This record gives sequence, C-alpha cells and structure tokens, in this order.
Amino acid sequence: MNLLLVIVIQASFYALLGMGYVLIYRATRVLNLAHGDLMVFGAFLFYQVLVVSNGNLPLSVVAGLAGAAVLGALIYLGIMRPLAGYPVAVGVLATIALGILLRSIATSIWSGQTRYPAEYLGQLGRPIEIMPGLSISGIDISIIAAALVAMAGFPLLLQRAAVGVEMRGVAENPLLAAQRGINIHSINALSWAAATLMATVAGIFFALKVRLGPDIWYVGLAGFAPALIGGMDSLRGVALGAVIVAAAEVLAARYIAPQITLAAPFLVLLVALWIRPWGIYGSREELERI
Amino acid sequence: MNPFTGLPSTLRTNYRRDMQLLDSGFVRFWTVAGLAAVMLLPLVLTNFWTGIANQTFIAIIGALALNLLMGTTGQISLGHAGFIAAGAFTAAALVTHFGAPFVVTLLAAAVVGGVLGVAVGLPALRLKGLYLAVSTLAAYFVIIVGIGQYQAAISYGAGFTMPPAGAFGLAVESERAWFYFLLPVTLAILLLNVNWLRSAFGRAWMAIHHRDISAESLGINAASYKLLAFSASTALTCFSGALWAFHTGFVSIEAFDFQMLIQYLAMVIIGGLGSLLGCILGAIFVIVLPHLISYATQALPFLRSMGGNVFEVQIGFFGLLMLLFLILEPRGLAGIWARVRHYFELWPFKYRSWDA
Repeated sequence: MNLLLVIVIQASFYALLGMGYVLIYRATRVLNLAHGDLMVFGAFLFYQVLVVSNGNLPLSVVAGLAGAAVLGALIYLGIMRPLAGYPVAVGVLATIALGILLRSIATSIWSGQTRYPAEYLGQLGRPIEIMPGLSISGIDISIIAAALVAMAGFPLLLQRAAVGVEMRGVAENPLLAAQRGINIHSINALSWAAATLMATVAGIFFALKVRLGPDIWYVGLAGFAPALIGGMDSLRGVALGAVIVAAAEVLAARYIAPQITLAAPFLVLLVALWIRPWGIYGSREELERI
Repeated sequence: MNPFTGLPSTLRTNYRRDMQLLDSGFVRFWTVAGLAAVMLLPLVLTNFWTGIANQTFIAIIGALALNLLMGTTGQISLGHAGFIAAGAFTAAALVTHFGAPFVVTLLAAAVVGGVLGVAVGLPALRLKGLYLAVSTLAAYFVIIVGIGQYQAAISYGAGFTMPPAGAFGLAVESERAWFYFLLPVTLAILLLNVNWLRSAFGRAWMAIHHRDISAESLGINAASYKLLAFSASTALTCFSGALWAFHTGFVSIEAFDFQMLIQYLAMVIIGGLGSLLGCILGAIFVIVLPHLISYATQALPFLRSMGGNVFEVQIGFFGLLMLLFLILEPRGLAGIWARVRHYFELWPFKYRSWDA
C-alpha cells in the first residue's frame, strides 16, 4: 500500500515534468534538454523570494512562476526563433548549450550549496497519518493535486479556449496558421512560457519535498523519459508514461538495487524506443518522400 | 593559382594529380614547416604546457571520432562521454586483471569500441534525428551507471591507478615522451579520417547525412554504412579513452560526467561540424582556453572574486559560445577561417568566378 502511494506521488511528479517536454515539442518540434535546468532556475527564483519575504509561501510561488514564464518566452524569442528551420539536431544541441549556460548562471548566483526550503513549510511538510501505517504529507497531496489539475486543465485549454485552438493550429501546420492571421511567434512564446512554468512547478515541489541545488537538474532531465514513452505530442500519453517510469523506478529500487534508480528511467526508455519509437499515444512520423 | 588550397580542381590534369594530398609546392612547404614547428614545441614549452598539448592531442582524436558521426554521417550522438569511459575502463580492466601491455591495451580498447558501436548503432537503423539522440543519451546513462557498479565492486569505488605506459621497450612516462608518442598517432588518425572522407566510405556517409532515403535509392546500403560509421567512431573514441586513461594515470567514473560530453560537443560545434580542421581548432580551443582564462583570472582582480566557481563559469562560457556559433556561424571556426582565406585569395575581388 505504501509502495503504491510512493509510485503515485512519483508518477505525478514525472507527469508534471513530462508535460513541459510535450508542450514545447508540440509547439516547436524541439526536445528541450534544458528542461532540468529551467526547473533549477525556477526553483531558485522561488527560493530567493521565499528567503527575502521571510517565508511568504503564496507570494514566492507566484513570483517564481511569473519569473519562469517570462524566462521561457525570452528563450523562445532569443534562441529558438532564430534556429527555426534548422535540422532537429541543431535544436537539441542548442537546448543542451542553453542548459549548461543556465546551470552555470544559477551556480554563480546561488552557489553550488544544497538548501532545504522545507524548513519554511511548517505544518504542510509534516506527514499526516490517513490510515494505520499509511501517512502522507501535505506537499505530497499538493503534488498529486497539481498533476491532476494540469492533466485535466491543459487538454481543456487546448480543446475549448481560443488560444488553445490557435496552439493546436500552429502545432499542426505553422504555415497555414500564419496565413489565417495567427501570430505564430507569440503563440510559440506562450507555449515555451507554459512549459517553463511547468518545469518550475516541478522544481518547487522537488525543492520543498527533497532539496534544492544546481545538481537537481538531473531529476528534471529524467522527465523526458515519460514524455517519450507516452508519445512526444500527446498529453494523455505523458500520464501513462509517468506511471510506467515511476513504477519501474520505485520497484527497481525496492527489489533489485537502490543504485539502479538513476538508470531505471533510461533503461525503460531504451526498451520503449526499440519497441515503439513514436510512443504509446504519439503520432507516427509522416511518410518520408524524396 | 590558388596558393592556399593547392591547385583549383579545373587545373588538375590527371588522376594522380587529383589524388595527391599536398599538390602544390606552397602547401608542401607550409605543411613541413608547420610540422617542424610543432615538433619543436616541447623544447619551448614548460612541462605543464606540454601536458596540455598532450591532452589536446587526445581530445583531437575524440573530436575526430565524434565528427565522423555527427558531422560526416549526420547521426547525432549524445553518448560520447560514455564511450570514452568505456575505452578508459577497458584499458583499466585489462591492466588490472591481466596485466596487459600498453599497446595491446590500446588496440583491445579500439576493438571493444568497434563492437560497442555496433550495439549502440543498432537503434540508428530504426530511429532518426531526435529519437536517435535520445537513445544515445539514454545509452550514456546506462553505460555510466553500469561502469560505476563495476568500479564499486572491483576497487570499492576508489578508481583504478594505471601503470606507466611504454611501447617497444621505450618508456612513455614524461610529458615530453608522451608528446612524441601522441603526435604521430594523432597524425595517423587524422590521415585515416582524410582518406575515409575521400573514398567511397566518406561519399556514402555524406550521402546518408544529406538524406538517407535518397542515398538508399542511389544504391548505398544505408543501414550497413550507418552501423559502420557508429562502429568506426566508437572504436576511435574508445582508443582515445584508453590513451586518456594511461596519460592521466588514474581512472574513476566521476571524470566522465555530463561536462565531458558538453566539452566534446563544444569542440565539434565551435570548430565546425563536418570539418577535420574544425575538430583540431575546436579541440585546441576547448582544452587550451580554460587555462588561458585561469591565467587571466589570476591577473585580473575582478575575475578573482568568482573564485570557487571558475569551472562552472568556464563550462557555462562554452555553452554560451555553442549557442552563439549555432545561431550566428553554424560552420564554426573552420567557417571563419575559410572566409578569411577566401578574402585574401580573391583580393581585390569579392566573388570567385569558378567553382573550386
């Protein structure tokens, strides 16, 4: 029972991370390997405000998310937009370069020291016993709730809202979307802002639950495994991918060896890529013609 | 006449002339003069800087290998640091368990690399672009964790100390000896790459880079040439990893982190993807520049305040440069060099009238 709860929490966390990858991939066909570093950057923004405001949690969360969204839009306008039309590989390499740059900036500003923002949480961080032998902390409940809200909210946004419909149009056929009068650059910037925001949400949760330091970028990077397994352009695929990866990771740590935790998402990913490269719910690449 | 690149292709009158590597007196003179200058380097440089030159040679071999995959064949690989680790640990394992001699170890590492390359290249037959990049990145993490387990089991996590290197009764211990060992090795591998590129292999790889489906419709067996590129590249990478192990003298898994991957990506991107000259320039740039920066850091007080984060700042600087090169000059340092060269070749004109 306890193991199941751990898997659910971990899967929710991976779903939050994976959604950021999917949002960016749908919009600009780029696998954003800087996602982990965006997560670190956003979490540090949150922490900075938390320290300055002396533990004002709502204010820090809002400030962290706003800062991250602005950063995401700037990254699209400054880096990804000039690289539009290049081969996929160039976009991936650019995000790797961006990631290492962000990490270096974060380390220069906040140093490599590990911090534990959970000390500001108070009651929220303490585990509550809901059943005999089964306890859950407020922060875990928030992670699951946030994942559920995001899983329900983003499809709703894409299906119903005008801006969501425009996003789908741009993802499907940028040229036609532009012809229809949609400003594809502002829509793409919005997608990047939303993805960076999701990275920050995951970063804040990780910082509050575990720790905060420049080295947690690795956790964010592992988030591309659920996204790829589920299908890079499918939001519901991410949920399934997150459950698969989280289950594999938790069970491997429990029953095989704890050291294997780091490699587990990637091993699952390698197998999944071999069987079904485009993911469970992903759309297959179009037929190639000469 | 074109004094910098040899004869323009229109003026080569027979096949022997066309296949000559150094086809004009000017090129021959400057190649010999340049080599002589490099040979004299250890006499001028201090021991420390000779060591840096040796690291550069090893990095050039690694960069040439990565370029073979990414620049020539167009198969993006993010597992490079993992393959270097595989080479270094093959060397360490052979020395630890069997006491294998230096030269045998190097060759064995290359063979292991060739086999590993086939294993890692197999997904490339099914996966393209983005998915291939991701599968090589995943392979990197799996290799690193696997080797980490091996290291923990054999040496209790402490790492492996390598014995002094020696070949054919000659000790290769001092930095100066290493220099005269690595210079011909690097030149031989450079020549190997030059010859690959101007043979049927190179043409097939470049065709696959351009568009694998059209390459296949031209009669090129894209699958086997992709595997061959992976195998050749990984063999060279593991070879350079084994050299690295012996030169450094100590092998531990921490050295093969993400930063090493970034460094090699920076070499080929800053140097210029697809260019052999670019690999050399990129390797020199990435290996030597940090040391120049640390000199500058000591000289300039305002930089000294960054103190403890120097390494982070350096690697971030490479990230920034990679971004700038990707956006502003995708042909890298080699492209800049070509532009400067053309300017002087053609002066006072701006555009060449023939295609050379």
